[in-house]
Amino acid sequence: MLIPCPHCGTREMSEFSYQGDATRTRPDPASADMKAWYDYLYNRPNPAGPHREYWQHTGGCRTHLLLTRDTITHEILSVAFARAGLNAAGGRP
Amino acid sequence: MSPRRASAGGLIDRGRSIGFTFDGRDYTGHPGDTLASALLANGVRLVGRSFKYHRPRGIFAAGADEPNALVTVLKDRVREPNIPATQIELHEGLAAESQNRFPTLDVDIGALGQLAGPLLAAGFYYKTFMGPVIGPLRGTRFWMLCERFIRHAAGLGRAGYAPDPARYEKMNAFCDVLVVGAGPAGLTAAEAAAKAGRRVILIEQEPRTGGSANWSGETISGKPARDWATALSERLAARGNLRLLTRTTAWGYYDGNTVAALERVSDHLPGAAEGVPRHRHWSIHAGKVVLASGALECPIVFPGNDRPGVMLAGAVRRYIGEYGVLPGEKLAVFTNNDSAYHAAAALKKAGGAVIAIIDVRPEIPSAARALAEEAGVAPLLGHAVVGTAGKRLSKISVQRFDAATGRLSGDVRPIDVDCLTVSGGWSPAIHLASQAGGDPVWDEARLAFLPPAPRQDWLGAGAFTGAATTAEALTSGRDAGLKAVGKRPSRAKPPTVKAPAIDPHPAPVFEIKAKGKAFVDLQHDVTAEDVRLAHREGFVSVEHLKRYTTLGMATDQGKTSNVPGLAIMAEARGLPIGEVGTTRFRPPFSPVSIGALAGERHGHFKPDRLTPMHDWHVENGARMMEVGLWHRPMIYGEPGETIEQAYVREAAAVRRSVGIVDVSTLGKIAVKGPDAAEFLDRVYTNTFSTLPGGKARYGLMLREDGIAFDDGTTWRLGEHDFLMTTTTANAGRVMQHLEYFLDIVWPDLKIHLTSVTDQWAGAAVAGPNARKVLEGCVTGTAVDTEALPFMGIVHGDIDGVPVVICRLSFSGELAYEVYCGAGYGRHVWETLWQAGVPYGIVPYGMEALGTLRIEKGHVAGAEIDGRTTARDLYLDWVLSKKKPFIGSALMDREGLIDRNRLRLVGLLSLDGQPLDSGAHIVESGGLETPGRSIGHVTAACYSPALSKYIGLALVKGGKTRHGTRAFVSDPLRKRFGPVEIASHHFFDPEGRRLHG
Amino acid sequence: MVKRESPLGPALRPDLHGRSDGGSGVTLSEVTPTFMAEAAAWPGGKKILAAAIGDVTGLALPASPNAGALGAGAAAFSIGPERFFVAGSEGFAARLAAALPLETGTVTDLSHGRTAIRIAGPRAEWVLSKLFAIDFSADAFAVAEGRATAHHDITAQIQRTGATQFDIFVFRSLARSFWRILREASAEVGYEVLSGEG
Repeated sequence: MLIPCPHCGTREMSEFSYQGDATRTRPDPASADMKAWYDYLYNRPNPAGPHREYWQHTGGCRTHLLLTRDTITHEILSVAFARAGLNAAGGRP
Repeated sequence: MSPRRASAGGLIDRGRSIGFTFDGRDYTGHPGDTLASALLANGVRLVGRSFKYHRPRGIFAAGADEPNALVTVLKDRVREPNIPATQIELHEGLAAESQNRFPTLDVDIGALGQLAGPLLAAGFYYKTFMGPVIGPLRGTRFWMLCERFIRHAAGLGRAGYAPDPARYEKMNAFCDVLVVGAGPAGLTAAEAAAKAGRRVILIEQEPRTGGSANWSGETISGKPARDWATALSERLAARGNLRLLTRTTAWGYYDGNTVAALERVSDHLPGAAEGVPRHRHWSIHAGKVVLASGALECPIVFPGNDRPGVMLAGAVRRYIGEYGVLPGEKLAVFTNNDSAYHAAAALKKAGGAVIAIIDVRPEIPSAARALAEEAGVAPLLGHAVVGTAGKRLSKISVQRFDAATGRLSGDVRPIDVDCLTVSGGWSPAIHLASQAGGDPVWDEARLAFLPPAPRQDWLGAGAFTGAATTAEALTSGRDAGLKAVGKRPSRAKPPTVKAPAIDPHPAPVFEIKAKGKAFVDLQHDVTAEDVRLAHREGFVSVEHLKRYTTLGMATDQGKTSNVPGLAIMAEARGLPIGEVGTTRFRPPFSPVSIGALAGERHGHFKPDRLTPMHDWHVENGARMMEVGLWHRPMIYGEPGETIEQAYVREAAAVRRSVGIVDVSTLGKIAVKGPDAAEFLDRVYTNTFSTLPGGKARYGLMLREDGIAFDDGTTWRLGEHDFLMTTTTANAGRVMQHLEYFLDIVWPDLKIHLTSVTDQWAGAAVAGPNARKVLEGCVTGTAVDTEALPFMGIVHGDIDGVPVVICRLSFSGELAYEVYCGAGYGRHVWETLWQAGVPYGIVPYGMEALGTLRIEKGHVAGAEIDGRTTARDLYLDWVLSKKKPFIGSALMDREGLIDRNRLRLVGLLSLDGQPLDSGAHIVESGGLETPGRSIGHVTAACYSPALSKYIGLALVKGGKTRHGTRAFVSDPLRKRFGPVEIASHHFFDPEGRRLHG
Repeated sequence: MVKRESPLGPALRPDLHGRSDGGSGVTLSEVTPTFMAEAAAWPGGKKILAAAIGDVTGLALPASPNAGALGAGAAAFSIGPERFFVAGSEGFAARLAAALPLETGTVTDLSHGRTAIRIAGPRAEWVLSKLFAIDFSADAFAVAEGRATAHHDITAQIQRTGATQFDIFVFRSLARSFWRILREASAEVGYEVLSGEG
């Protein structure tokens, strides 16, 4: 699988680390809502098809990328820096 | 001249001879030969024994599709088994031996297994060992009894024990167009793409380019086809934008148009020059791929079709055309299509006697008839071969055959022949296209699976697409090359090809049903009857058929058996072949050496991380140990010392006077920016925003789930400038953890994280005399308690080198960590060392470091093991109640505060014997019958301060057991003994010494 | 002043490891500059960052991904979004820090933390292609551009410093291992070890 890093260009998957499901949101740090924390930490959908997920380019620029990847075909439907501010700053779209 | 070598023809160099051995006998061949062609030229027909039945087998094909002629190549002490003789280029000194025979190839007792043939039918293993066999023959025990014998009898070659000294390497390549196959189609495709100025890679699995042009006997542009191909290849290879790789097999088609290929760089050479690999593994990233991988010939399945001397017709053409070898004296042809008539004509032309052409079809086209005339024989139409005889083929039996009904009739007629060439039609080599995704398409007219619609960026050309003629190959190749570079097909006339016009469509005859074993998969000994048996037993899906019978699962991956096997299954099911479908092809197309997959990473393949003081340690007698990638001193042994004596001496010296240890391996992360303090407050369980400049603080991090993650000290070097230290083992993980939170959870925080582990050399000077050592060498700053209190930081110089000194202690002694630029590390270390000589300074290693921390009860990776919480380790004091931090929401879940959790305690050995980490703690029992475990030892040592063997342990209930007795139980190391459970703060619990 | 020690230690000896036919396809040398640093801006600040680095080093740095520049006694290239690797002489340290106030970004000194190894010669692309899965051809990787990549456990930041020349910056602690790996990969084409030019 190849991943098109907005900074480094297309690289082999071996340069990246999977960093998990990108659809979950972290509860407020002070929240005591255990269900929200469990959902955030443990409950994962496992869709067959497009999936939003984080990959870190550990063997390259080290940024986290937000990918939409088809889990059936490995096709990468979209990619951007996870940190929104970096996208506005002129990474490759 | 060898008995079967034609006096002329072929691409071999008759002027030179090459000596080689096969099964210990000497033979000669010529440059340009393969082992297979040289053996055939020498009249060697029996080359191996089959997988299950030990039937004699010969050379069947001429290329990567060879199922039978697998040999073991011997190079010095290295054995490489299961190499097709058709893919071994002859070279001086080549030594090969046949496989799966005992005691010799000619006399093989395993062949007796043929008598037990019916027992070894499809599903043999399942039925015999897992099914309801009666009485003592049932189940696992019986299997274990038989396994040795069966494994011995069944199988392929034997691997050796000698290490492989060959060099393997990997190569990454990028191109606009990758062309797979350098036959007529691939050559023209590559030419079209290269002329457009694109970067092109052209790969060919054979040693020479040209493919069928090497043996077709056709002419292209008025020249012999092979001359045309040679000239074009040379022109292409001379181009700057084209890389031609021969002896290279594209074996896998992966996501992102990545093609894996294996280049056999020096197998064909007597020896490789220095630095030259044996195999090179290519990962090729291609914009477009042109698949011009040709077609593979199918056999016809009939009884005795595995006899040495039965060969594919196309292969025989190739042996004549490319190697000048006649595989027999009296030859016959058996076919369901026209292409075999070429072989007949070529055999005759090369001087062979064509005895018979047996064709299942009642009528044949005039072009085929003309070729038969050239061969000098009238074809027996509407006939079939129904049997063969001879250990090496000596006779075939022929009978009248009705292609429409498959019925045999009339007398069985014997014909004396020593070589039977067979053709059942041609199947495109669609393996890579199938790997790339999509279902192959059955073509009822060609009786072959055509490539699927592309799921990746590839185009097809030539016989791969089902094209039957060279003229079509040239046109489709050129057009595919143009299309690959975004151009329209050319209107220009392609080169003219002179070749007989033959009908590419075979008659739909796959099998002749008569008495005797008829093989579908020659390499795995799967017969037509096995396929039908699988069907009767309900294994009707092609995927099940494959797994149940192992059809197509051998090293040749069913290149010759796929279509006949499916056809027989389709017939049994009464369905068209297209509906039965084919299994998806999977990598590799051909076997790949494991060495090539490992590349340069074999033996000690991890890189070594060395500290700036590494050479000093080695020069001064350190015994090094690996900690992750790092190399660290374990002990600095003096002559005659045991490891225990050495670390006890080192640790005692630290407590008595002073020692020095290399701490450069600690992870160091620069945390800088306006929000640095806020960031640290969120990631650590305690507060860093309140830390004054020039001070350090111990910090603990939890994972999001509340489990302890890592600890270390973080130094505030400036208002917005922190230096975080992590444990050596977790440095990378901590960095990734912080980057994750910064990028994803708190993207608005303005901080930068940079790994500076390698920037700094670190030495810890510890012991009552540590300050005196510093005073002896540090300039530019005072180091007394006022200037440098506990957890204070100062900047100074040591012999002109700027240093940062922090007073902190892992050993429990008065101690300082001295950091300097890594390039000065050894110099500063040596200067500190010199300053310590008056105090008897000792260097100490990991063992003594561990001993000192166990005595103090400081936790490390063995206790922060990914299962323990801060409370388990009695680190509650470092959990802030004033702010949330990573892990704070979940750290007090019910299961994490259970009173019976394993918690940290100290252990004192009561029998004067050592403790070992990993041993269990039990409350009762003995060596052989220990009671239930209540915990385990995490770290242990001999404590010079206590003069006892002590340890740290995680024990149910923790502190509540202080003062009680238990036992360590370690059955593997035969240790059972009494211990006292105590506080983990063994030594100086008030911490007076570190404030000294 | 004490001399900085090379991490290559005894592994760095001027030597010729030619092919049997006498040729050598690459030269290898250690070229660690006296100053190296990572300079980073806050999101959105790449242009300001490039300008600030330019003021100190005299380099004209495009703000595009993978961009880099080479000049007399200075080199810089992008190693991540809003992040440059800067190499040059010792005087840069204070001037860079001054040019990058906290509102703009930060500078982190790596002068001791990285080791620069230079490979030069007609076969440099070939040798590097054995170790890194990136396209080293001049079309794809122009002179002065940089790449952040990795060979298994060894992360590397690479700048093309000439038509057939690359400078590879690796972690100091891994430099000796990388040097060995690079020499082994170069053996096929023959290599000459040059004494460092610093």
